[in-house]
Amino acid sequence: MNFHPVVRALGYTLLTLAIAAVVWLFGSAHAAWATLVLGLLLQLAYHLRQWIALERWARNPSPATELVGSGVWSEPFAHLYRHERDLRRQIAYWQEELARFGAAGQALTVGAIIVGEGWRIEWCNRMAEQQLGLNQQTDIGEPITHLVRQPLFLNYLTAGDFAAPLQMRSERAGDALLSVHVIAYGKKRQLIQITDITQTERVDQMRRDFVANVSHELRTPLTVLHGFIETLRELDLNPEERNHYLGIMAEQSDRMQRIVQELLLLSTMEAAPPPPTDERINMTSLLDKLRRDAEALSNGQHQVELIQGCHADLFGSEGEITSALSNLVSNAVRYTPAGGSIRIHWSSSAEGAEFAVEDTGIGIDPAHIPRLTERFYRVDRGRSRESGGTGLGLAIVKHAITRHQASLHIHSKPGQGSCFAVRFPAARVAL
Amino acid sequence: MNEFEKHVSRAFDDELTTLRSHVLEMGGLVEAQCLAATQAYTSGEISTVSDIVETDRKIDVFQTLIEDECAQVIAKRQPAATDLRLILGVTKIVTDLERIGDEAKRIAKGARRIHGEGPKSLPPHTADVRHIAKAAADMVRRSLDTFSRLDTEEARQIIRSDAEVDTEFKAVIRQLVTYMMEDPRTITTSIDIISIARAIERIGDHAKNIAEHIIYIVEGRNNPPAFKESAS
Repeated sequence: MNFHPVVRALGYTLLTLAIAAVVWLFGSAHAAWATLVLGLLLQLAYHLRQWIALERWARNPSPATELVGSGVWSEPFAHLYRHERDLRRQIAYWQEELARFGAAGQALTVGAIIVGEGWRIEWCNRMAEQQLGLNQQTDIGEPITHLVRQPLFLNYLTAGDFAAPLQMRSERAGDALLSVHVIAYGKKRQLIQITDITQTERVDQMRRDFVANVSHELRTPLTVLHGFIETLRELDLNPEERNHYLGIMAEQSDRMQRIVQELLLLSTMEAAPPPPTDERINMTSLLDKLRRDAEALSNGQHQVELIQGCHADLFGSEGEITSALSNLVSNAVRYTPAGGSIRIHWSSSAEGAEFAVEDTGIGIDPAHIPRLTERFYRVDRGRSRESGGTGLGLAIVKHAITRHQASLHIHSKPGQGSCFAVRFPAARVAL
Repeated sequence: MNEFEKHVSRAFDDELTTLRSHVLEMGGLVEAQCLAATQAYTSGEISTVSDIVETDRKIDVFQTLIEDECAQVIAKRQPAATDLRLILGVTKIVTDLERIGDEAKRIAKGARRIHGEGPKSLPPHTADVRHIAKAAADMVRRSLDTFSRLDTEEARQIIRSDAEVDTEFKAVIRQLVTYMMEDPRTITTSIDIISIARAIERIGDHAKNIAEHIIYIVEGRNNPPAFKESAS
């Protein structure tokens, strides 16, 4: 029996009317009226009960408490209940989806800020907080220009030309160099994307410096060579002078060769596979060789002393370690005036081993120490070249030992001497 | 009627936001001035000094503009309570900002006197001057952040950090005095450095004042008693 809902809803009313009519026919009119009123009251009570159930549920509609109706109410109640449940599922689904996107936005390694009208911050991620010193708790709804107040940034925003990104420094993030993109999207909304380009900029600067330095370093000896070639060609010289000039030329071409060789060594190291961890370097013989080399270079002008505190060996590339350590030793000899002393230490502890060269030389101003291992960095240009330095020695040292997970520690006092220490981790030390 | 009222208050809100934006924009300029001036002194790059002097004029114009805006708002809206305190506080804050600008100019001019004949290598305690300059610039930045966020907790921290700047300033002066006694030829330069350090210390004081004005705006109390001893 599938009647129309209206018919079903009216079913009891019609039934009451029919019973009242029968009573009318077989009894009195009063009894008929009474039957009708009683029937309708019963129906009213029934509907009222359903209404109360609906009202109670609607106050706090939740899929946890089921909404059940009886009779004609069962179907609309079931529809309502299902609708509510589906709606809630959808909301939960979208909330989860939204949270996932939010979390993805937070995890971005670039800063992202969404700003609405009047540059008010609507959302920002943790990276942006760090880069610009914002605070998600307090700054949502605040114009971004109130917090990022650099005139440069303000002018960029008000000019409204976002074709090229803005580069600015943020002293809130340790003077980082930031690149700011503004991307318009949606209605009056803008996405501000911030990338930290400090590192890139530094690398660029180093590359520029490096190219300039290489050219400069090679040009100087080349100019000398060129000058003497002209001289030899145009002037008629006696053999003695000739030999003198050729000697200078040989010196300069040696210099150029050394620079090129060391550059090649650096680039080979950069490209080479990591140094072996199972090849044992005999330190006793290496230290002995370093001492003999130092004595030869010093030519009896310095007192060279080897203090070998242990018999530990190293694991690694013998070639690289030898060139790194002998560089440190020859630096000590070169920068120590005649009569000074040079001490080579080799010791080990639970944390690893330490190789140190201590001298009583001219020392280094603390201002120069952080930059000493840069390629072609020189404390005193004239002096370094005079003593035959290429400006690459410490760069090679730094590179070679870093490849062995070791670190370089420099202590120095101008006029009193320096100490260059290389600390190798325990994993590289063989007892 | 109802809608009209809403509109009026909305316009009032906009006016207050504009006022705040202008203060912070001026603050941004002042911050940049402090950094540029310190940079001129520490790096010896004095080509920026004329720019700094030029920008200082812009800051002065800003101050008059904001003060006019404050007068306008008071005349038009007869603000009460927080709004009134905000406006009164703003007039005081811009005065302090303008003074910070003046001190920055003083630093820049000092840098020009010192490095006038080519960049000079400065005495070794320049690092300390740079350090207090950084601390003072930090205070200015934090005080403006605090103005934007109306965060009284942070304002109190700023007031406390002024004492550190003052202590460091005194240490720098002591060092410079020793330096001058050791080598009288350095007196001219040292005096210039002292005036720069003095200007930096004043910047810290003005930043502290700004923090106090912010506490006044939020809490309606002038010079909170807890800080009376340290403020004097």
